[in-house]
Amino acid sequence: MKPLRVFFTGVGGQGTLTATKLLAETALEQNIQVNAGEIHGMAQRGGVVHSFVLMGGYFSPKISQGEADVILGFEPMETMRALSFLKKGGLVLSSEDPMPPVSVTTGKEAYPFMDHIKSETIKCSPKARFIPCVSLARKTGVVQTANTVLMGAFFSMELLPFGLQVLLDSIKKRIKPGLVDVNLEAARLGAEFVNQPV
Amino acid sequence: MNLLDPNSGIKELLLGNEAIVRGALEAGVGFISCYPGTPSSEVPDTFFRLSSKSEYYFEYAPNEKVAMETAGAAALGGVPALVTMKHVGVNVAADPMMTLAYIGTPGGLVILSADDPGCHSSQNEQDNRYYSRLAGLPCFEPSTAQECKDMTREAMELSAKWEQPVMLRTTTRVNHMRGPVEFGQMKPAKTRGEFKKNPGRFVPIPAVARVRHRALTAILQKIRLEIEDSPWNKSWGQGKVGVIASGVSRSYLKDVLKSRPEIEVKVLELGVTHPLPGNLVKNFLSGLDKVIILEELEPVLENDIRVLCQKNGLTTEVVGKGDILPLWDEYSTLCVEKALMDALGLDFKEEEQCSPDVSGLPNRPPNLCAGCSHRSVYLNVRKVFGNEAIYSSDIGCYTLGILPPLKTADFLFCMGSSVSGGCGMSRVVDSPVVAFIGDSTFFHSGITGLINAVYNKYDLILVILDNRTTAMTGHQPHPGVDQSLYGLKPGNIEIEPLVRASGVENIRKVKALNQKAVLEALEELKNMRGVRVLIAEEPCPLYAKRIMGVKRNKVAVVKESGPATLECLNTLACPAFYLDGEEVRINPDTCAGCMVCVQICDEIKPGSRS
Repeated sequence: MKPLRVFFTGVGGQGTLTATKLLAETALEQNIQVNAGEIHGMAQRGGVVHSFVLMGGYFSPKISQGEADVILGFEPMETMRALSFLKKGGLVLSSEDPMPPVSVTTGKEAYPFMDHIKSETIKCSPKARFIPCVSLARKTGVVQTANTVLMGAFFSMELLPFGLQVLLDSIKKRIKPGLVDVNLEAARLGAEFVNQPV
Repeated sequence: MNLLDPNSGIKELLLGNEAIVRGALEAGVGFISCYPGTPSSEVPDTFFRLSSKSEYYFEYAPNEKVAMETAGAAALGGVPALVTMKHVGVNVAADPMMTLAYIGTPGGLVILSADDPGCHSSQNEQDNRYYSRLAGLPCFEPSTAQECKDMTREAMELSAKWEQPVMLRTTTRVNHMRGPVEFGQMKPAKTRGEFKKNPGRFVPIPAVARVRHRALTAILQKIRLEIEDSPWNKSWGQGKVGVIASGVSRSYLKDVLKSRPEIEVKVLELGVTHPLPGNLVKNFLSGLDKVIILEELEPVLENDIRVLCQKNGLTTEVVGKGDILPLWDEYSTLCVEKALMDALGLDFKEEEQCSPDVSGLPNRPPNLCAGCSHRSVYLNVRKVFGNEAIYSSDIGCYTLGILPPLKTADFLFCMGSSVSGGCGMSRVVDSPVVAFIGDSTFFHSGITGLINAVYNKYDLILVILDNRTTAMTGHQPHPGVDQSLYGLKPGNIEIEPLVRASGVENIRKVKALNQKAVLEALEELKNMRGVRVLIAEEPCPLYAKRIMGVKRNKVAVVKESGPATLECLNTLACPAFYLDGEEVRINPDTCAGCMVCVQICDEIKPGSRS
């Protein structure tokens, strides 16, 4: 396959690490050379979480500035903050549902306007897509599947050498039995959303 | 994934730390001890998870020194042993480690030192390869998950062969990377051994120690000869410019060379970096005009190589630490690429990249969770002591008390320092001193500080934030936790009787979420003198939910938003609160139901979780 570096950014507790592991394990199962990188510990307590999946023969466990082929943003402001990691010509897929930090919820600082986040992102990635991950996840009845909505969108965009069905099979295999159905639905909703004409 | 599969050939995606576990299992490890600490924690946690299905003996120790001593003695008893810790933990364990290198470890002892370049979860980024040299430990530095497994296994075998402790030195990126690992054959765990008495070797009185120091030097020479031919140290490529790389820098180097074919260099990868395979390095350097050394943090190899050049009259230019390759933080493909281009005189053009202005974006620092009892205690400490007191903090989630509005961390050294540091401060300043320590940290090394506080008659308030677990590193048990929660035999050591036995007379024990009780206890203690201890107990909400299975049915609900609720939002900074325009609201999905806000604000009431 063409080497591909996928950069995950989100907030601790959003399930970005679960998504990272899911992609990496799925890739290995598809006989793709893969490395993934995570950071655990203090950084996770509601802070920003960056993680990485590098496919197609990389050795490094992390992605530097300007290297990511894809940024998967699980939180829109964190998507914007991570744009410098995007390679020229790279693609951004992001949630458009804010998770404001404490400084914002307590009124000390202002969350950037969504239009500003979107326009800055589109400057870097003209084909960027923003996805209402949380409201789509709500449709499944389990709002915590917002991360799977984004993964569904990603797998259906033909950037990977495998498609949505592989994700669905991987979910069946890897997610706790009680949560499989909602995650399958979440993945389909994400895929459906990005495949609608803009 | 089955890490206990006895067969070879299976390929799994493993975390570097899981791969270390597999490597030790393949070597027949029989005894494992540890103190958890990021980025090492998944090693012991994985052993713990698998322990009921395995033969090896595993334990969590109260601190790294204890872990080193128990594992060291198990190795003296002839059993292959592994001890794991984060880099700063090695400081705690350094005393027995130094001696173990002198007297040797017949069963084999591997010391995992998980270093943290970039201080992702640590108070410093010390380079523990210095310890391998200080103590005289052979040192393995894996760069991939596969190497984590293979090197652990080989480190254990090398250690058993030479009866010397060996360091497995990893870094955060390697501990927390996931990569494919092909399993090897598993050896049965060797859990029983025999101690062959030999006081002339194992009791390092001065006369013995002098002899053992020479013996260590001689053994290291023999190990060096073995390392000269080690497959972990390999050379490839060609050119007049060489690169010597170790640890994760080897991965960055390989990716750069792949993406930049115009960079032509000869490469020496060092997987075992101590003792330095001098002949190998010397042969590699001969004929090179220049050599670039890639190693994160300290110029350990660089200095060794400069010495080697000087001794052998080599004129190869050595390029190491400087502006492009700094002494701090992590390396990356980017900095390795710059360093190579610079050394080769090639023009480095930075790729055009997106650079929107993000300087004005609100920051997102880590924060105490909704429902965390530390917030409740800190709130009351601020009420009673305000800015007047000096707050001596310690290592754990509660260090996050540093953030406004709680601001209850003024200084901190290391695990356990809050008590003794608080004492020293209290003797020389006029302000009252309040020290905070968690339960696991108290058992780790707070107790000795407390005994000193009583012994030397200090004026100190110590708040023990007892959340019933080692929270920050992932809810490991400790001596104060009822072991039956983990399926082990029941029993735990109570903190209060320990404090009393240390000689403290003024002790208050409260439920940490009970505002009235916490406040009253603090006010009482404030008016006393001497060593005073408040034990504030409440299980970590994440632990209560995940391990204890506690369900909280209540949520806090704002009845009427106004100045009182706004005040509550501002003093608590609880992540469940938010402003919706001017209105204060509480997110029921995030609220953990601790009811602290209900106790301090009349406009917030308990409601049921719908």
